[in-house]
Amino acid sequence: MFNSAQFALLPVLAAGVLSAQALHTNIDLPKDGPVALVSYDSGDSKGTPRGAAYLVDFHATLSLRNSSSKRIRSVTLLVQDQETKASVSVPSLDVAPGDTFPLRINQTLFGSPSVEVQLDGVLFEDLSFYGPDKLHLQYNMTVWELEARQDRKFYKSLLEVSGGQALRNSMIDSLARQVPQPNVRMARGRATTAEPGQDMQFAFLRLPDSPLDFSAGQAKVSANEADTPSFTVHNVSKRPVRHLEIGWILKDQAGLEFLAALLPADLNLAPGQSGQVTEDASLRFQGQGAIQSMKGFISSAEFADGSYWIPSRKQLEDPELRMVVAPSPEEQRLSSIYKKKGLDALIEELKKF
Amino acid sequence: MMPMSRHIPEAHLALFITGDLGMWKYVQINLHIAGCEVCRARIEAYRMSRQRLKQAAAELPEGTDWDRLAAEMTANIRVGLAAGECVARVSNSPWKAVGRKASGWKTAGWTTSGWKNMAAWSAIAAGVALVLSAAWALNLPASDGDTLARVMHSLFQGGAQGRSGAARSSSSVEDRGPVVEASAEGVELRRNGIAVSIPQAASRPVAITVSAPGSASARYVDDDTGQMTISSVYVQ
Repeated sequence: MFNSAQFALLPVLAAGVLSAQALHTNIDLPKDGPVALVSYDSGDSKGTPRGAAYLVDFHATLSLRNSSSKRIRSVTLLVQDQETKASVSVPSLDVAPGDTFPLRINQTLFGSPSVEVQLDGVLFEDLSFYGPDKLHLQYNMTVWELEARQDRKFYKSLLEVSGGQALRNSMIDSLARQVPQPNVRMARGRATTAEPGQDMQFAFLRLPDSPLDFSAGQAKVSANEADTPSFTVHNVSKRPVRHLEIGWILKDQAGLEFLAALLPADLNLAPGQSGQVTEDASLRFQGQGAIQSMKGFISSAEFADGSYWIPSRKQLEDPELRMVVAPSPEEQRLSSIYKKKGLDALIEELKKF
Repeated sequence: MMPMSRHIPEAHLALFITGDLGMWKYVQINLHIAGCEVCRARIEAYRMSRQRLKQAAAELPEGTDWDRLAAEMTANIRVGLAAGECVARVSNSPWKAVGRKASGWKTAGWTTSGWKNMAAWSAIAAGVALVLSAAWALNLPASDGDTLARVMHSLFQGGAQGRSGAARSSSSVEDRGPVVEASAEGVELRRNGIAVSIPQAASRPVAITVSAPGSASARYVDDDTGQMTISSVYVQ
């Protein structure tokens, strides 16, 4: 491939490559899309050679304009290089047509010093969606928006009926639930050198009004690792279901319970029909000792007609779920406003939309 | 530099896709495909085939070690490449002439200058070794470099941890390939010993989630704008 002269020049060329750490960024927003790029600042983004590739620290601030005729509720950008795929989503927006809004990206990538940013999805006020949805986040973006509406309605009503003190207490209560979770690692694929494990059955949390119910569920458990979770679900609603998401709760030997993972699944279940959900995935947590027990619950579902089911706030008050499931993104945003700026700022925020 | 009229060999394309080429060749191919539609299309075709293979791997019988098979296939390609280059070198045979020159030069050096020149020869040898080491490191495939880094790290950290049961348990998930991790610090993707994270300017996530298809997400509230941002990394 090289002659000796080229080989001798290699360190010189390499030094040139090492010093050329500027990133090539391509921001690809469709010309006829609902958001347009107003400005872009790549800040202190840089690429650092690591072995045969580049470790890219990408810190960018984009200013986007709503160029559609509808109010925007949520935006997702796909951020990738040749080797790494990541995304940035901003839920709980309320951007009127013609208005601009900022979007910050802080991401490390590993591969080439060339970063591509693409619009992956935009969710509007009427829950319509625009975008290629390569990351399959339309479902999540819609669930975030439905949860946000539910939460804003709850807090507005609480303020109106019970006053500011009740709203303050509710925020303090929400902040108390936002505790750090144990480390969790997830790998795809089947175990090839599996240590001897045992089948552990799931217990189930049954939420009233949930369109699906469980009839069985198990995973292979070895110490603090669980493999290939499998569930049998039954459509107990009167409408066909096409997608669901299962919450997977683990309890360690110290009695700590936490939401370890979510298992989304596409399936077409007619009313009364049962189906199997199996994931070739392995999950490991850093808790106290081994896994003691596991629970599953339906965290959300989508019907074939495009409508969604999410648990009500009352259902989420279930003592078994309360300290395990994190508040919605909107509740966390509102509680953060209360924490940093106080009750008056929160009330002003609730009046906005 | 690879001329546009000459396309990249198939084997190099395959290694490029899997990240198993050295940095020099990686840069060379990147430059080439920037202006070569044909090679770019072939790379895309390879990438899609790889995705399809990955999907098909999920259908393989239980117990099939896909990662090991992939590693063996990559190794076979590398062996083929190395063998091809050896054959090319022998046919050009520049090595005999160099060997004769070196032999005579070495003898002259020792007999005429003696010990006084030894320090100078040692310095030259050290310099050559340094340049060769740098060239070797630059051409080391990412996966090999990562493995080497892990070995060096474990040597410096001491072997006790690696022998413990806890450490064995922690490696068993990572042994299956890319892993996503969520913790109070945020989320990251670990692949071949490299961790790709989402740094958020000194703020900690308010919630983290791991999803079974192979993604980890962290929620942050922006201090300046008050916006909620959800950042995710994906196992490809």
